[in-house]
Amino acid sequence: MKKITSFALLILVSSMVLGGVTHTAQAETDSSVLLKIAKQAQRQLENQMNKDVSDKTKQLFKEGTQEIKDLEESIKNNNADLAKKHFLSAMRIFKEISQQLSNIKSPQSEIATLKATSKDPSADLFRMQDYINNLKIIAKKYNASIDFSELDDLFVTARKQISDKQFDDAVETIGKIKQITVDFNNKIREYASQQEQSRATAYAKTYLEQLDRLIENAKSQGLSENIIQKLETAKENLSSTTDPHEIIKQIREIISIKEQFELTKNDRLESRVMQIEKTLLNISNSEKLSQSDIDDAKKTIQIIKRHLAKGEFEKANELLRSLATLLNTSQD
Amino acid sequence: MNPEMDLTPIEESIREDGMLFVRTDSILETMVKTPLIVAGLIIAIIVMPIQTSFSSTRTLELIIYSDGSTHVSRQIDVDPLEPDFELDLFGQSIDNFVAIGDTGFLLSEEIIGNKAVIDKFGSTIITINYDVHDLISKEGRVWTFSFNSPSDYTLLMPKNSVIVGMSGLPTNMELVDDQPKLELGAGLSEINYIFSSINPTNNLPISNDSSFGYTTVIGGLIIAAITGVVIILKRKQSKSSVLTTHTEPIPEKQSETTSVDTETIFSFRPEMREDDKEIIKFISDNGGQALESELRKKFLQPRTTMWRAVKRLERLGVIEIDKKDLQNLVKLKKDLEEEK
Repeated sequence: MKKITSFALLILVSSMVLGGVTHTAQAETDSSVLLKIAKQAQRQLENQMNKDVSDKTKQLFKEGTQEIKDLEESIKNNNADLAKKHFLSAMRIFKEISQQLSNIKSPQSEIATLKATSKDPSADLFRMQDYINNLKIIAKKYNASIDFSELDDLFVTARKQISDKQFDDAVETIGKIKQITVDFNNKIREYASQQEQSRATAYAKTYLEQLDRLIENAKSQGLSENIIQKLETAKENLSSTTDPHEIIKQIREIISIKEQFELTKNDRLESRVMQIEKTLLNISNSEKLSQSDIDDAKKTIQIIKRHLAKGEFEKANELLRSLATLLNTSQD
Repeated sequence: MNPEMDLTPIEESIREDGMLFVRTDSILETMVKTPLIVAGLIIAIIVMPIQTSFSSTRTLELIIYSDGSTHVSRQIDVDPLEPDFELDLFGQSIDNFVAIGDTGFLLSEEIIGNKAVIDKFGSTIITINYDVHDLISKEGRVWTFSFNSPSDYTLLMPKNSVIVGMSGLPTNMELVDDQPKLELGAGLSEINYIFSSINPTNNLPISNDSSFGYTTVIGGLIIAAITGVVIILKRKQSKSSVLTTHTEPIPEKQSETTSVDTETIFSFRPEMREDDKEIIKFISDNGGQALESELRKKFLQPRTTMWRAVKRLERLGVIEIDKKDLQNLVKLKKDLEEEK
C-alpha cells in the first residue's frame, strides 16, 4: 500500500512539476527565429539606404549590424538571455532607422508607400470575402434561402478589376458587395431571431431543472422558508417566460438571489454538467461513441444530477470527472 | 497519538548562545500524514482544470490587412450556466462582427464602445470574428501594431511586410503563403513594420521547429503521468463505481497519406461545406495533394480565406498540411475510416 501511495505521490508531483516546465517551454523563444527577423529587417533597410542618408543613420545601421553579430554569437554560445537582449537592441535601432528613412523623400520610398495606401482596395475585398464566408456558413445552418451567386460574381469582378489596376472600378464593385451584404445580414438575423426563442426556451428549461435541484437541496439543508419562497417565485417567473430578453432578465434575478444567499457553491458543478451534456450531444452526432456508451453516459449524468440535488457534491464531482475523462478519450 | 519526535541529547543542542534545538527527522509524518499530502495534491489537480475551464480564450488569431485593419478570430470557453457573456473587444472601431455559438447558430449581440454583450443561451464555446481598426497606426512609412493580448496568439502579417521593430519576443515564426506568421505570448506587444517593394521572404530561411520536439516530449511525459494517476484512481474507484460505460480500445491512427475516394470522404464528413467539397475534389483529381497557392489560383480566393478553408479541412481530419519549398502542401489523408 505504501508503495502505491509513494508511486501516486511521485506521479502527481512529477505531473505538476512537468506541467509547470511545459508552460515555461511554451513561452520560450526560439533564438533562431529572432535572428531571422532581425536579419530580414537589416537586409530591408540596407536596400533602402542610399547616399542621401545622414551620417547619424549610417552610424545607427552599423550599431544595428553589430547587434546582429552579437546576437549570432550569443546563439552560438547558447546564451538565450543575451540573444534576446541583442535582438531587442537591434530591433530598437532598426525601428529608429526606419523612422529616419521615412522622413527622406526618395522615389523608392514613394513607390513603396503607394503600394500600401488605400488606393488598392484588396484589403477591403479580403475583409468582405471573410465576412461573407462566415455569413454563408450561418445561412446554411439556418437553411436560409439566400442566393449568394450574385455576390460571388461581384467578388470575381472585383478581383479582376484589382488585378487590372482598375482600383476605382473595384471600389465601386466592393460598394455594391457591401450593399448586398447588409441586406443578407439582415435576412440572416431575421432567421436567427426566429430560432433564438426556441434556443432561449430550451436553455430556460435546463436552468429550471438546475433550479429544481437547488431548491430541493436548499430544503434538505433546512434553509429558511423565505429563501426557498424567493427561489420558488423566481422559478415560476422564469417558467412563464418565452421572450429571450425576459429569460435573460429572469435568470439574472435568480443569479442575484443565489449570490445574496450564498447558494452558488454548486454552480461550477452545474456548469460542468451542462458542458458535459453538450459534449455528449456533439459526440452522439459524430458517432464517436456507441449507442450503449451514450446511454450509459446519460444515465451517469442523471445520477450526477441526483447527487447535486441531495447536496452530495463530492460524489457528483467524482462521477463528473470519470465521465469527462471518458468523453475526452472518445473525442481524441 | 504518537508524536514520534526524536529528541537529541540536550547538551548537544545547547549552543554557546544558549538556544535549544530539537531534531525532528520525522516531522513530515508527525505533522502531515502522507495520505493527507496525496489527498491535497489530488484535490489541487482536480480543482485546477475546473477553475480554468470557463471564460478562457481557447484560440486567438489576428490577421493584419495591408490597409492597417486587423481581423480578429477568437474562440472562448464560456460558462454555460450564464445567459449572456460580456466580451472586451480589442478596440472601438468594429466592423463585420459575428458571434457563433457551439451549435453553429448566430448569437445576437449588443456592442457598446469596446464591449460586446452576447446572448449565448447555454453555449459552452463561442467563436467571435470581427475587424478592428484601432490596433495599427502609421507614421510616415512605418506601421505600428500595438496590442495588449489577454492570451497567447498568432499574428499573420500582411504580404510584403517587413518587421523593423519589435518590443516583445515571438515564440515562433513561420511562413504562410509568403506572409510571416508570428506566435506571440500574452501581454503588451508592439511591432513596427514597413512594406517592401521587393519580396522580403525570398531569402528567409525555413522555420526551425526544434522547440516542437521538446514540447512534444514534455507533453508525452505529462500524458503518461496523468494516465498513471487516472489508472491508480480508477483502481481505487472500481469497488464502488456506478459508471457502467463500456470502453473499447481505440485503434492507433495512421498518418500515411494517399488519395482517397472523394465520395468516401463526403460520406464520412457529411457536415463538410459545399465549397470545401470542391477543394477536396480538386485535390483528389490532382493526385491527392496540391499546393495551397494552387488552390487559391483555382478557386480565386484570397490567402486568408483559403488558409481558413484548409485549416477547416485539417480540423475535420480529411487533409494534412506539409511544408514544401516554404509553401503549404495540402494532402488528403488515408486514415479517414479509422478516425471515424
